[in-house]
Amino acid sequence: MHLLLALFTPDWGVATAAFLASTVEFVEAFTIVLVVGVTINWRSSFLGAALAALTLAVLVAIFGVTLVKFIPLSALRLIVGIILVMFGMKWMKKALLRYSGRKALHDEEAIYEEEQRALKARGVVIPQKIDGFGVATSFKSVLLEGLEVAFIVVTFGLTGSSHAANKSSSLVSAVIGAVVAGLLVVALGALVRAPLTRIPENTLKFVVGIMLTSFGTFWGGEGLGIDWPRQDLFLLPLIAIYLLASYGAIQWLRVPAKPQAAIPAAQE
Amino acid sequence: MQNILGFPRAVYNFFVGDPILLTGTLAFFILIGALARTGLARAPLALGAILILGILATLGLSLWRETQPHKS
Repeated sequence: MHLLLALFTPDWGVATAAFLASTVEFVEAFTIVLVVGVTINWRSSFLGAALAALTLAVLVAIFGVTLVKFIPLSALRLIVGIILVMFGMKWMKKALLRYSGRKALHDEEAIYEEEQRALKARGVVIPQKIDGFGVATSFKSVLLEGLEVAFIVVTFGLTGSSHAANKSSSLVSAVIGAVVAGLLVVALGALVRAPLTRIPENTLKFVVGIMLTSFGTFWGGEGLGIDWPRQDLFLLPLIAIYLLASYGAIQWLRVPAKPQAAIPAAQE
Repeated sequence: MQNILGFPRAVYNFFVGDPILLTGTLAFFILIGALARTGLARAPLALGAILILGILATLGLSLWRETQPHKS
């Protein structure tokens, strides 16, 4: 034990810095996992996250600390960003059309969801089908954010100490900081999971659309070299901008109270 | 021919399924990529603003199309 302590003295500065930086990335990844889980299903969401974790583990095993040299993070951010913007807008559009009365709230999809809710209420266990969209969304987000955490750990760990002898100690400290951050975010996520399931379906889908579009804009912009003010905190004004624009869109699209003006869902 | 196009069509429908969302999003990201190579690279906030406005314009156009009675 004394020998272990002598070999490893935690570098609290590096551990704290890695913890704080990784928390931001974990929160971003977990937000997507959470919304995919609540709106699509947990099986698809966890499968995507697990596949991403596996891919990440393989990448780390192959490249080790040289990961930062070989993975083009900017290109990855750009691709994931563009896809998320498209996914997000698709969901936002559908939700906005429903809110404004342009698309019937009780379309086939809504009826199916209602049936699912009724079955759940009767205690019937519904087998959760793997949904490609859910798996892909969860996978992309966890892989991108996981890579960012790996980059944080490697850069903080290797630059934390100028002495070669202390480098491994700094690296282990950075890993500890990141692992604690991950566990904390997962624990907090488990607490908010239950209240989220009580939110109406269309509201959740609208929120997912806003989140995916905001994250996509942020990551895609970063991939093109845009240096957003206040870094990751800029996600909050970005979400506010899309919410405000959505409110405007609902007002603009709102159908005057004529039932025959609604476009039937079947024509979509 | 239908078999050849089957897979790309399935991918397109899976990812976006709307020609306006696809072309609008790609067009604005390409535009920002091009602008980032000019003097505007020194004004990243302006690039960010153009990107956000472009995405909103794309969504607006797609929503407008939905309000048209004879959309294809």
